[in-house]
Amino acid sequence: MVRYETLVLTVPEITGDETKQVEKELTQLVEKNKGSFISFDRWGKYRLAYPVKKNEYGVYFLARFETATSSDLPKEVANLCKVKLNNIVMRDMTSRLADDASLAYQRPPSLEDTPTTRDVRTFLRENKMEGLLSTVDGNKKADAKPAEKAVEVTEEVEVAEAAAPVETDTADKE
Amino acid sequence: MTKKIKLKISARLSKKRFRKQSQSSKKHCRFCSSPEMRQKIDYKNAAFLKGFLTERGKILPSRISGNSCLYQRRLAKEIKKARSMALLPYTTQHF
Repeated sequence: MVRYETLVLTVPEITGDETKQVEKELTQLVEKNKGSFISFDRWGKYRLAYPVKKNEYGVYFLARFETATSSDLPKEVANLCKVKLNNIVMRDMTSRLADDASLAYQRPPSLEDTPTTRDVRTFLRENKMEGLLSTVDGNKKADAKPAEKAVEVTEEVEVAEAAAPVETDTADKE
Repeated sequence: MTKKIKLKISARLSKKRFRKQSQSSKKHCRFCSSPEMRQKIDYKNAAFLKGFLTERGKILPSRISGNSCLYQRRLAKEIKKARSMALLPYTTQHF
């Protein structure tokens, strides 16, 4: 038995039904060719390195299956992706897994994993543009750091106010 | 009287000599010694492969990265696979 994996790049606006359709078609094809389906992972939405079919974004799926050595299944899977699922699938690549390779793998972080909305203040601080922080309106949503600074300033004021009457008191006593 | 003789060395040779002297330690292949690093050579692991590209998206030569011939070949193959799946760029965008 040989293990294969197919990485499928689909259009970004793929629906849940279409996802199920891709999975169903693949499993049916594998079972038809007397193979066994191992896994079907949805990687998530990605920004592509270059536009594919005029799409800047895409959704990746990784399917893994096992068949006999002399099977035509890899070709069949490629045909399925290129003909029947032509409207959904933009790119597909089937590659053979090494016999002793583990099934664990690393994938790049997708757009769904990383938060897309970023705070203006954190962006300015990370890129060493702290001088521009004053131009941004001081909202309550800002991070802990500006809040700390504000607290420090108020403390200084209080100390100055507290120090002044003490001196006057001592002067009176004298 | 003795004549002063100037040894003629071409610019290329002198540069080569300078390079040999300036290299403090020999580069070593990071994949030869550790099997864990070898497993990272995979077209799906695009974040790792990105370290072996230049700013323009070309594959970094082994003369710079220090990879051995065997792993440079494997790495190049995986980078090309990742490129075809749009995980890595062929080149940066033209302006």
